[in-house]
Amino acid sequence: MKALVLTGGAGRTLVPFSATRPKAMTVVAGGSLLRRTLQHLREAGITDIAIVVGQHGHVVENTFGDGSSLGLNLTYVRQEGAQGIADAILRARSKFTPAEYFVLVYGDVVTSSNPFLQLLQSFNTFKSPIAGVCLPGPPTGRYGNVYLSGTRITKIIEKPQTPGLGNYVLSGFFVLPTELFSWVEEAGRDMERVFDRLTTTVGVHASIWEEGWIDVEYPWDVLAANRLVMDTWEEARISREAKLDNNVTIVGPVRVEAGSTIRAGAVLAGPCYIGRDCYVGNNVLVRSYSSLGPGSIVGYGVELKNCVVFGRARIGRLSFIGDSVVGEEVDIGSGTMTVNETLDRQPIALNIRGSKVDSGLKKLGSFIGDRAKIGAGNTLAAGTIVEADAVIEHHTTVPRAE
Amino acid sequence: MCGISGVASFHPIHDRLYEGVHQLEYRGYDSCGVAFVENRHIEVRKDVGTVDEVDSRANLRNLEAHVGIAHTRWATHGKVTRENAHPHVSCDGAFAVVHNGIIANYRALRERLQQAGHRFRSETDTETIAHLVEDHFRRTGNVEAAWVATLRELEGSYALAMISVHDSDRIYCARQESPLIIGVGTDANYVGSDFNAFIEYTKNAVILDDGEYGIVSKDSYAIKRVRDGEVVEKPVMVIPWDSELSRKGGYPHFMLKEIHEQPQAARAALAIENSAILALVQAMAEARRIYLIGVGTTYYVALYGQYLFAELADVDVLPVSSDEFRYLDKSDPNTVVLAISQSGETYDTLMSLRHAKERGAKTAAIVNVVGSSIARLVDHVLLQGSGPEVCVVSTKAALAQMVLLTRLAIELGVVRGKLSRGSQEAACDALHRLPGEIETLLNERSGLIRAAAYRHAHMHNWLFLGRGIYYPIALESALKMKEVTYLHVEGMPGGFLKHGTLSLVDENLYTLVFVPPRESGELYTLTVSCVEEVRARGGFVIGFAFDPAPGLFDEIILFPPAHAITAPLLPLVGAQLLAYFTATALKRNVDKPRSLAKSVTVA
Repeated sequence: MKALVLTGGAGRTLVPFSATRPKAMTVVAGGSLLRRTLQHLREAGITDIAIVVGQHGHVVENTFGDGSSLGLNLTYVRQEGAQGIADAILRARSKFTPAEYFVLVYGDVVTSSNPFLQLLQSFNTFKSPIAGVCLPGPPTGRYGNVYLSGTRITKIIEKPQTPGLGNYVLSGFFVLPTELFSWVEEAGRDMERVFDRLTTTVGVHASIWEEGWIDVEYPWDVLAANRLVMDTWEEARISREAKLDNNVTIVGPVRVEAGSTIRAGAVLAGPCYIGRDCYVGNNVLVRSYSSLGPGSIVGYGVELKNCVVFGRARIGRLSFIGDSVVGEEVDIGSGTMTVNETLDRQPIALNIRGSKVDSGLKKLGSFIGDRAKIGAGNTLAAGTIVEADAVIEHHTTVPRAE
Repeated sequence: MCGISGVASFHPIHDRLYEGVHQLEYRGYDSCGVAFVENRHIEVRKDVGTVDEVDSRANLRNLEAHVGIAHTRWATHGKVTRENAHPHVSCDGAFAVVHNGIIANYRALRERLQQAGHRFRSETDTETIAHLVEDHFRRTGNVEAAWVATLRELEGSYALAMISVHDSDRIYCARQESPLIIGVGTDANYVGSDFNAFIEYTKNAVILDDGEYGIVSKDSYAIKRVRDGEVVEKPVMVIPWDSELSRKGGYPHFMLKEIHEQPQAARAALAIENSAILALVQAMAEARRIYLIGVGTTYYVALYGQYLFAELADVDVLPVSSDEFRYLDKSDPNTVVLAISQSGETYDTLMSLRHAKERGAKTAAIVNVVGSSIARLVDHVLLQGSGPEVCVVSTKAALAQMVLLTRLAIELGVVRGKLSRGSQEAACDALHRLPGEIETLLNERSGLIRAAAYRHAHMHNWLFLGRGIYYPIALESALKMKEVTYLHVEGMPGGFLKHGTLSLVDENLYTLVFVPPRESGELYTLTVSCVEEVRARGGFVIGFAFDPAPGLFDEIILFPPAHAITAPLLPLVGAQLLAYFTATALKRNVDKPRSLAKSVTVA
């Protein structure tokens, strides 16, 4: 069976990272969402994969190439502009031969374990179209309300008018026949009508996912997804090719990759992740749910807590990075503080593209875009967004954008 | 409690024994094993653990033998050790036995055999049987004669299967108070403690009765009486279940699957011919005393029935837990005992029915499993037709039983002149809307209940409160919750609060209150006063309610409106979901909770 992975969505609410990379290239627990998806597909025996890429698609192509390093055969389909799912599906038509079933994947969700094993098991049971469904934690309006009778899906409301009732939603995983391409065309590229046809005339069964599932929509969802993955880690894995000084404390499921150096006095409290070729200086405290991407340098006495650093970042001495997401090649000067709560300890709201969105979180740090430079001695207010490539001079206090 | 599987085949067994015990794992699973004849000796592979764990250590698959038996154990005698796992072999290794049940006189037999020089390896009653057969074989030189002589000495309950090197093409089996079934296939015959052992391979089955033994080979089988060796002719029945249904389909767990099958289970209960209902109602109308018996979930179903019969038919029925029935039984020919059992094999319920029958009572039962012991024992049987229930925790079977009791109560109300035609029709209409209402609930509330379950999964102590007919609902909901989450949950009538329970209320205890629809008047008001009592003491209260009540609860799950007669069943489904999602949040073994077994066929 082949697979079609959609990564072309603009993901405009995932500021500031959507300005420089597709959402599927967001990093959690040491790997991008797309890398996890591809690894899961491979585990499920699916190696022939077409990926639809949109804006910043070159990031995907440059990272995965022909897929041989992952044991996959990857091909790419380019989608210009935000044309939607129907358009993405139709563009990939030539990659599939008629009269076969294939796996369709929305590339921007994170699951705690491999969803394709259960999906394919459901397909083997019913030998008919399958749609993965799940109950999201907080209600999300983005994945359509599903109505079930047994496992048979009776109705899919793609754009529900009253969200939050507690329905199952599409989890973004499907097994569908290649007739889908003509259905999408005949429905005038209207997915609502495609779903109608699937439920009323074709017949589609649900495969119910009960494990963790997160749709990464807002920047703080990256932290939740990171936590979801790290919560499945049970043991410490320290590479033989990592260099650890004496007097490094390791507690719980800590992962350290090859080529990294951990200096004396550092404390790594799992679950946490140190990628390849990192430098973790003396007396650094890496607290749980921190993910430090490859090639990062962390200076003396830095504290990391519940944060995701994509990679190749430099974090100067005596800084605190907590409840924050730090993009690639970010340079943070020494003594920088990401303040992670307000004085009134109320949930923190962020300005996302002009509208105020409540994160529901009382502790929230900063979201720092790729290649931003932050001078020494800065204090970033809770919920600060630093755009990609921004430069912040030394000793500036950045207030939160209201 | 345990599961037996056996195969006698034209072809090598390969993984059929493994599959057989795998399908039976829900009956109990602390250890398992297989035995088969190879090169004129018996090989036994067994160990502690689930079937998959034992398979990975001892290889239960790819067997080249043509005849074998297997067992999955749930300990009653002796600890959970490799030695105590079945199959058990005799001293000379020529006989291997698997057994469900309890041999009452095994100590005496064991002492006698030890004096005769037999050496025992385990603490089990079962091993005695293997040695006893060997002992009798030494004298008779005939396996069947030794088997019969052994059976005549055994007291207690058993389902047995045995293989021997002296007759290596056959499986010997027997039944006494513990179910055993022979599966008749085209290229093999099977034995099993229930259909699931071989439903993948054949749907044709012959059921052994107490005091019968069977001899099964690849191309034939015979059933004889232990007493006189007479051959018994028995009909071959076709199992109506689709093996497809026995699998999970698109669900992560059988429990969720079976919760989602409740609209179908309710429809099946509503589709049962009214004549069957009326025949039983007639007997109940004539009776001077009616017992409703069940144990565990089915006892709470019986309790639910008590409220229904009082409300709809103005009839007193006595709900009694089957395990206590013998101490209370005042049966006589004017008594009807109505038993409720999903499996139809529940030991306590079966014994209670026999007890009552001996005293001349009329017996009836609501059961799910066709051809089960209880179904065949009673005078009136209502087969609920809910389809196989695999999860140890009963959901759809219990709901269907409640629907059937409602039908009985309505009809009895009509017969007794308590219900007018109009109210009867309204009640029946309400029942027929129930499947759709459950579907709506499953579709539109699952997410809310899951979110609540994940939010509160850290809470170790729960109080589930209900008044009136919501009291048995609270009890059954609490049982669901404790079975599958391993948390401490107490079900209780709301009125008990002031009489002791209130002292428990603090920040370490959450309370779930089953609130009836507001139009139920006083029942609603009194239930609300329970909520206030708990909150006044700082307790956290979640309401399962039909009407919005701002400020009354700390949290509320609102159920879609329903008729008074079916309303209690909606929060029951809600509580099943709460139990299920709390269990998944806590990563419990949902379909096979620790220490529990699906069908309790021992005392």
